[in-house]
Amino acid sequence: MSKFKVLIKKLYKQKISSKSFILTTLLYLAVLSGFMFWSEIKDLIFSGDADTVAVVNETDFDIAQVLLDTDDVEYVYVDSGNIADKLKDGDYYAAFTLSDADGKLAAKIESYDPLPLNDQKDFQSALSQAGQLYAMSQMELSPEQQQLLLSSEPVITLNSLNETANDGKSAEEKMAGVWVSYAIGIIIYIFVASYLSMITTDVASEKGSRALEMLLVSVKPEVHFRSKIVGVFLVALTQFVILFGVLLLLLRFTDGGNKWSVVTDLLNSLSISYFLYIVGFLFLTIFMYLIIGALFGSLVSKVEEAGQVMMPAMMLTLVGFYVMLTGMGNPDTMLIKVFSYIPFTSGMVMPMRLGATDMSAIEPIISFVLLIATVLTLYFMSLSFYKRSVLTYSSGGIIEKMKTVFKVTT
Amino acid sequence: MVLQLKDVTKRYRDFVAVNRLNFTIEKGEIFGLIGQNGAGKTTTFRMILDLQDTTEGTITWDGQPIKSVSRDFLGYLPEERGIFPQMKVEEQLYFFGELHGMDKSELKKDIDFWIERFDLEEKRNVKAETLSKGNKQKVQLIASFIHKPAFLILDEPFSGLDPVNMELLKNAILYLRDQGMTILFSSHQMDNVEELCDHLCLLKRGESLFSGSLLDLKKQYGKTKLTVRTDKSFEVLSNYPGVNHVKMERDSQAVLTLEDEKYAPEIFDLLSNGNYIEKFSLDYLSLHEIFKEKVGAGLV
Repeated sequence: MSKFKVLIKKLYKQKISSKSFILTTLLYLAVLSGFMFWSEIKDLIFSGDADTVAVVNETDFDIAQVLLDTDDVEYVYVDSGNIADKLKDGDYYAAFTLSDADGKLAAKIESYDPLPLNDQKDFQSALSQAGQLYAMSQMELSPEQQQLLLSSEPVITLNSLNETANDGKSAEEKMAGVWVSYAIGIIIYIFVASYLSMITTDVASEKGSRALEMLLVSVKPEVHFRSKIVGVFLVALTQFVILFGVLLLLLRFTDGGNKWSVVTDLLNSLSISYFLYIVGFLFLTIFMYLIIGALFGSLVSKVEEAGQVMMPAMMLTLVGFYVMLTGMGNPDTMLIKVFSYIPFTSGMVMPMRLGATDMSAIEPIISFVLLIATVLTLYFMSLSFYKRSVLTYSSGGIIEKMKTVFKVTT
Repeated sequence: MVLQLKDVTKRYRDFVAVNRLNFTIEKGEIFGLIGQNGAGKTTTFRMILDLQDTTEGTITWDGQPIKSVSRDFLGYLPEERGIFPQMKVEEQLYFFGELHGMDKSELKKDIDFWIERFDLEEKRNVKAETLSKGNKQKVQLIASFIHKPAFLILDEPFSGLDPVNMELLKNAILYLRDQGMTILFSSHQMDNVEELCDHLCLLKRGESLFSGSLLDLKKQYGKTKLTVRTDKSFEVLSNYPGVNHVKMERDSQAVLTLEDEKYAPEIFDLLSNGNYIEKFSLDYLSLHEIFKEKVGAGLV
């Protein structure tokens, strides 16, 4: 077995069997399962606990056709009277009093405790819809006219005259792109943060325990550097496959396949090239941060200093993550465009632009080429620096450590 | 001739760590590299191990540049102890062996042999971080030579060891030498160097003060250490001819440092005055004393 393989085997075995890997994988699986089974869990915990909302309808309008019972809310239609007492006693969660105000529906929402924001929004939304129907009912429209009004959304066709731009995506495709990109951004952020920390700590620990000196007698620093990057990448890939595999199984075999069909519909609205870009950006970004992590790990003298040197790289990932989050609201801003070209953030930001905006085919290619060039440049620069830093012990901040390396090895 | 350093220099910008160092180590011998902290020992080791480049000069193994020789012929025990704290003892030894291209089946016999020899049987499946300092050192020493290197470098192998473990390690080093291994080692404990080394190199601030056989070094100073048992006072002994220094010890024993061994017969006559004398021993200076004399000159 080559030295490279021996080093990878040791690292892989050690990391896969470590408590932290097992616990974080279990934690992610628990979160995934919780997310997938949320409705069942909610039913189990809050079973039969649909909130009762009393409705006092002082109009002639049949409000029951609008206010439909859900898993969370059950409407009861009552006369005004002892509502305040029942709200106080907890018999009713809230009460609506509906009346006519010059042809419009007037609604008063009462509750004993102030309502949570979500409930406020839900009730207002339901009542707003009821208000529209009430207004229509006041106009004495025929059923056909009512139907026409209800289905009055315009038929919109998008057409971009710029020939270099891709065919315009529909709003649905863009929304799907936003959500998939959001998920990808989170995956990249979590994996980069976890495995950047893993590789930095691992190199720092070997250097701090001086085991590295013994290792470097038999393996060249470049082989050691490569083995760390590939080894940690394989650990990351293993965790990714486990999580992704379980997610697919859960989607496929729970909820009678309903979730699976939602996901396939979502994925069908996205192109193959989009997925190829996503995979490329995901792996290259992780590789890039692993290179940075190994380099930073080689700068410290003991494992306790690993957190300190990791900070700048963590900040970069955080910046990328937050910029990506701003794109959830509007993915077409200048901020998103600029950061989608910066290699340290493009992995998280460009997928958002790819999925949720219309842009020319050359833009993601430029961003991808920039990322590849950065990864290669970083790799060769780090390799050269790693050879010098890995056996140099110094104190101070990251800049001071770098200066020491240059001083004692030049 | 196996290892040869010729005019080896290591310079960092404005600091010379090693300056025109020359020495040769023959096959199957134990060679000592001694000097104070910061003398350039570890830098020299690292250049031999190709962990650092030389600024000038050449290092060859069997006439070939050391960079062109496979790394598997080398074994190294660093000064600062370094093993993987989370790995079990046996696992650790297999790992280092495999790293040098050996199969598990090849390694088993040797690992069993050394674990037994170093009395580590009970610690075989214990994580390294739980071991005592002495046991960690034993494990690391085994790890450094488990692949049977032709050339072994030991940087301060005895530091922090109790006398029993020190003896165990010393015997192991002699055993490895008898197996044909060439060994270069450094130590601050001169009695160990004296006991184990055939040849040595004395370093001071990167400069070689001496390189050659231990006996030749001692001959440079001659037999100038005279130990006597006498009731004569310090003043009387100090006034004897050719006496540079007198150190009074317990049990009426005194150690005289002579200017030259030719004064010894005259001092014998003065001390004995034709009568029986219980102790009169003329010897070479110990390596410890030569080290203090050569390396410590101008420092104390």
